[in-house]
Amino acid sequence: MPPPDLDRLIPAYVREFEPYIPSKPDPELRKLYGCPRLFRLNNNENPLGPPPAAQEVIRRFPPPAGALYPSGDSYYLRHEIAARQGIDPDQVLVGNGANEVIAFVIKAFCEQGDNIVTADKTFAVYEWVATFSGIEARLVPLKDHVFDDEGMLAARDGRTKILFVCNPNNPTGTYWPRERLLRFLDLVDGRQMVVIDEAYFEFVDKADFPDGMTLIGPYPNVVVFRTFSKMYGLAGLRIGYLAGSREVVDMIRRTCVVYSVNGIAQEAARACLRDDTGHIGRTRELVRTAREVVDMIRRTCVVYSVNGIAQEAARACLRDDTGHIGRTRELVRTAREFVGGEMAKLGLPVITGEGNFLIVKLPGSDTLAYKKLMRQGVMIRPMTGFRFPNHIRVTLAGMEAMEAFVAALRNILS
Amino acid sequence: MSEKDKRRLSLRLPAHPEYVGLVMQFVERTAGVFGLAEGDVKSLELATEEIFMYLATSACPGGELLVECSDGVYFTEATFRFPAGPMNLRGLNIAPAAPPNLEEDVDLSEMGLLIASRSVDRLNLTVEQNDRFKLTVVKEKSYPRIEEPPPRPEEGGEIAVITPDAERIKDFAVLAAAHYREAERPACLDFPGKVVDMVAGGDYHCLIAVTPRSAVVGGLLFHYRTEKIVACHGPYLFPRNREGAAGEALLEACIGRVARGKALGIITLSVLPPGLQNDFETIGQLTYYGEDTTAVTIPHRYRHLHEDAGGEVWIHRDLRAYLEETYARLYLARNIRHVRDVRETRPGFSLFAADVARGRGEVMLRPLLPGGDFEDNLKRHIMFLRQENFRNIFFTLDLGIPWHAELIPLITVRGFRPGIVLPGAGRSDMIVFQYHAAP
Repeated sequence: MPPPDLDRLIPAYVREFEPYIPSKPDPELRKLYGCPRLFRLNNNENPLGPPPAAQEVIRRFPPPAGALYPSGDSYYLRHEIAARQGIDPDQVLVGNGANEVIAFVIKAFCEQGDNIVTADKTFAVYEWVATFSGIEARLVPLKDHVFDDEGMLAARDGRTKILFVCNPNNPTGTYWPRERLLRFLDLVDGRQMVVIDEAYFEFVDKADFPDGMTLIGPYPNVVVFRTFSKMYGLAGLRIGYLAGSREVVDMIRRTCVVYSVNGIAQEAARACLRDDTGHIGRTRELVRTAREVVDMIRRTCVVYSVNGIAQEAARACLRDDTGHIGRTRELVRTAREFVGGEMAKLGLPVITGEGNFLIVKLPGSDTLAYKKLMRQGVMIRPMTGFRFPNHIRVTLAGMEAMEAFVAALRNILS
Repeated sequence: MSEKDKRRLSLRLPAHPEYVGLVMQFVERTAGVFGLAEGDVKSLELATEEIFMYLATSACPGGELLVECSDGVYFTEATFRFPAGPMNLRGLNIAPAAPPNLEEDVDLSEMGLLIASRSVDRLNLTVEQNDRFKLTVVKEKSYPRIEEPPPRPEEGGEIAVITPDAERIKDFAVLAAAHYREAERPACLDFPGKVVDMVAGGDYHCLIAVTPRSAVVGGLLFHYRTEKIVACHGPYLFPRNREGAAGEALLEACIGRVARGKALGIITLSVLPPGLQNDFETIGQLTYYGEDTTAVTIPHRYRHLHEDAGGEVWIHRDLRAYLEETYARLYLARNIRHVRDVRETRPGFSLFAADVARGRGEVMLRPLLPGGDFEDNLKRHIMFLRQENFRNIFFTLDLGIPWHAELIPLITVRGFRPGIVLPGAGRSDMIVFQYHAAP
């Protein structure tokens, strides 16, 4: 049997696309780089892990439940999110991480010949999904590290379907205040969909920072993304969601695969909402173990990408009243001040704003710095792939990790 | 139909000698329509005749052949795609099995690729999916050299990086040729019309830095040298001391274009402004010999576009010290595996791909198939290529392929020395050896 003629069978826009290569697991990296410990500061994970109740959900997940399908449309989680946001459950769509809901939206609104508009230096997945779907991604340069509203409006044409705004922006941490976002939405005037990606929403406590959820009513062309991966520490369970008007979400739902959100993620997300145990630090190691187990379970359920407790955990995240968000914000603030001060002493410019990360400009190649820092057990994100050559993005984490980062950076620059 | 497809015509036929006239006419007519000058068409036609007859009588007689003729704007390319059985692969080596002394008793049927390579600018052989081979010959158009004086560089002022129109590309080429020595720039910059066509063809991209009054103060050219490597010429800055902002902006714009594409890294062969040298790592150097035997040693600089993924490389002990030093210097984390020669039998004939660039007297050899005759084959290649006046002979190995590493002692004993290591450029890192003739 001859092998398939992939040149003929695969569309050019897929053949030409370079798949993202994720980093190897920590034990492999430690072995490869010869470092006994590794601080992962490249993915903006929350070092505090999920809120205690979500951790409890994960811990008590009954193994036999691995054989059961979860709620195919994250029923309880959608209801809980809707209740908290004051919207209808049918206005919420849960996905296997926010990455999946990006794909839902592009698939729902775009066909060949259409385009999306976003920034050149922002979260890469909007551009990636569009590109490997055969949709043009129009990239508007940031202006002073901020999304350029005028530029985005000017980049539209009759085939523009979606404008993606990352607010606050990953990786610059800048954001549009409420007035600017409203002006933008007024000028769009419903002609395109506007996606407001609020992956880092919970990290911001600025008075003028807009809550996209409140704009769904007055602007029915708005779709808001949120995730449980960042503040709520459920990155390993892959769970995020979108919200929009009932009519819009009804259309998007047609492109989504039911059962794509595993049960552990659903349960853990619910637990995030209601946890009151306050045992974050003591359970971190257990959660790491549980995550590995969950990962293994997921491998047996590839067709539906799921297992049982994820939705519960997500609900637990939403119910959290133990001050998880406050503790995380305090940790991030402390780390930001510390790293900012140390970078100033080294004479290195910093781009910082909202979110649990900041960017440091280096005097040379960021990808070389990545290799050198890995040798010292510190993993950061080189920013060349974000079109910020010679910049690195560092997750703001606990002081041990931050001190290790500063010492390693000082070492490689000396 | 894509724009590129619109500039490509094809002919599918069995490889029978009686069709040679048809194939020659196809290439001749097509190349003429694509704008190749009459003399150049003849050269391409001659190469086509030699290749087709060689395939029809030696490499794949009677096999299904796809001949394509493509317009690359500044060149016309003829490709031949064909299946090849294990018995006749040996003949696809550019060096004939018989010594190429053109004596009466030489079997001319073994000389097809040799003769074809003489009449074109480039020739290369690759293996595609389904074990099909693709043989490509390229004839470039001829362009006039620069005769006009360069525009006067403008001092000062804010700069912006733009994708230039044809006239500004010409300005850039003229300025680069005026301000940089031959060894510091690609030869194409002597021919502004060619640069315009290279960009129009889509394989090359140009960015320039301009002042508010639209004067060109810098620029660079880049193209995908392979799927995984972008080759960058520049940034060139006019006047040359105008570095800093303009150089940085040009490089950043170039990276912005390729950072989310297929390439893993950028390689630059040109002289970098001092302010940009920390942006790259020196991965080694190669020496290029000109027609007048002048030698220019060029450091090759590289920067990753993404995190280096680490991984496994296969090496032979003869190269251990060099690679360990290189990997340590470049901070490349590698799981090094050693191949062992235990005198196992290596049946069959080896096959090398040859990327020939006649104008530069350059050939890059790559092993496609292992075989028991590797040493003899390499010896023949060196002899043939030197007789053919190739001054720059390189050999590339992929350290992700164990049998490539087994070839290391056989290559080094024939006078090849390691020049550069390209991280992740193949299945793993690729290493380029340069042939140094014995004194």
